[in-house]
Amino acid sequence: MEFLALFLAALAVLLAIPVPKILHTASFRGRSPWAAMVLWQAIALAGGLSMVGAPIVYGLSPFGDSLPHALSSAVQLTLSEDYETLGQLEVHPWHIFALCLGLFLGGHLLLTLARTYFRVLGARRRHRQLVDLLSTPLPNTVDDADTQVIEHETPLAYCLPGRTNASSVTVLSRGLLNTLSQPELGAVVAHEQTHLRQRHHLLTMAFEAWYRALPWLPTNRYGRDAVLELTEMLADDGALTRYSPETLLRSLALSSAQTPPHDDGPASAPQLDNDVPGTSNTLITGARLQRLLAPKEPLGKLAVLGVVAGSAALLAVPTGLLLLS
Amino acid sequence: MASLGELERSVMTLLWDSEHPLSANEVCEQLDEDLAVTTVLTVLARLEKKGMVLRERSSRPHRYAAVASREEHTVEMLNEVLGTVPDREAVLARFIGSVSESEAAALRRILG
Repeated sequence: MEFLALFLAALAVLLAIPVPKILHTASFRGRSPWAAMVLWQAIALAGGLSMVGAPIVYGLSPFGDSLPHALSSAVQLTLSEDYETLGQLEVHPWHIFALCLGLFLGGHLLLTLARTYFRVLGARRRHRQLVDLLSTPLPNTVDDADTQVIEHETPLAYCLPGRTNASSVTVLSRGLLNTLSQPELGAVVAHEQTHLRQRHHLLTMAFEAWYRALPWLPTNRYGRDAVLELTEMLADDGALTRYSPETLLRSLALSSAQTPPHDDGPASAPQLDNDVPGTSNTLITGARLQRLLAPKEPLGKLAVLGVVAGSAALLAVPTGLLLLS
Repeated sequence: MASLGELERSVMTLLWDSEHPLSANEVCEQLDEDLAVTTVLTVLARLEKKGMVLRERSSRPHRYAAVASREEHTVEMLNEVLGTVPDREAVLARFIGSVSESEAAALRRILG
């Protein structure tokens, strides 16, 4: 049991600090975003499980040789108030401290997840009410999905997930409609609808909660940001099934402008002209844009299989050790 | 007959465009649809519960006014989307935002 606790603690540290740091820049994520997504979800689950499991296993180690056995005997001894047997077990204060720490950590993580979930749900409901009252449906949409327009000049597109796909909505601003051409708009809507169809908000929720629960863990931010970036890549891929990368890039370039592109002040204009042609490519560091500008070969089947198998193993190892050893 | 959602929209539009608070009877008269006053009262009660409408209880009959203008609500919505309020993790997956302004500018130059 002590050895298992040590192993879980090592796994927890590994998954919490070096692994996210290395993985969030791994270049394979651009070649197979969904494989990277599977891996991140496995890391979060396995990391949480081992982080909570390690102190609990250590705390229960005097009570038995395996976790289920130790747990049941600890509960039985406590309930029966069998102090004589309890005294013979050599329960050190450290064991009690570790047990409390593990239970607290587990409860804290679950509670934060629940709180985040309900808060987000409430915020979405409030936002949805405003959308319903303020927007008008977009005429002649590509398919029957709900697309709404709000009257504002900022070029803007986002989606609001509902309980089901039918109750989800894509919102576009008037500014975006005025800025983009018909195919560009189509690419934006296809992007948003991929977010909704693949329920990306559920994939990011745990990472958001995890980040909120342990904000002092610097590597938590890597996981959250990486998963957000992956959802954007996946949504881009959804748009690319019907639109060209150029169309998508063009719509991204135009809709990201907080100010209209033609409004370049006189001060900034000469600077732009001084740029040597070709150097602008180096300004684009984001992996999401890189893969649209210069698409790389998708990850091979074997490599994808390796990543998925690795993720499964990552999850199976702490779960198996906790339940079976 | 129009759905409750559509009725809420038309009632809100009426209150936003009106210069002074309206009573349920006045709302009922100004709506094009042939509605019972009780229906309008139901819609107004729902809007009040949602925090969209304020009821003036000092007068008889009660008069209703919009809490904020259409523009103010739009700005409130956009602030949630653009992440300028702390409670932004409604995770309204955004199309923009993951592309920085400098990257977008570079992109515009590449695309010409």
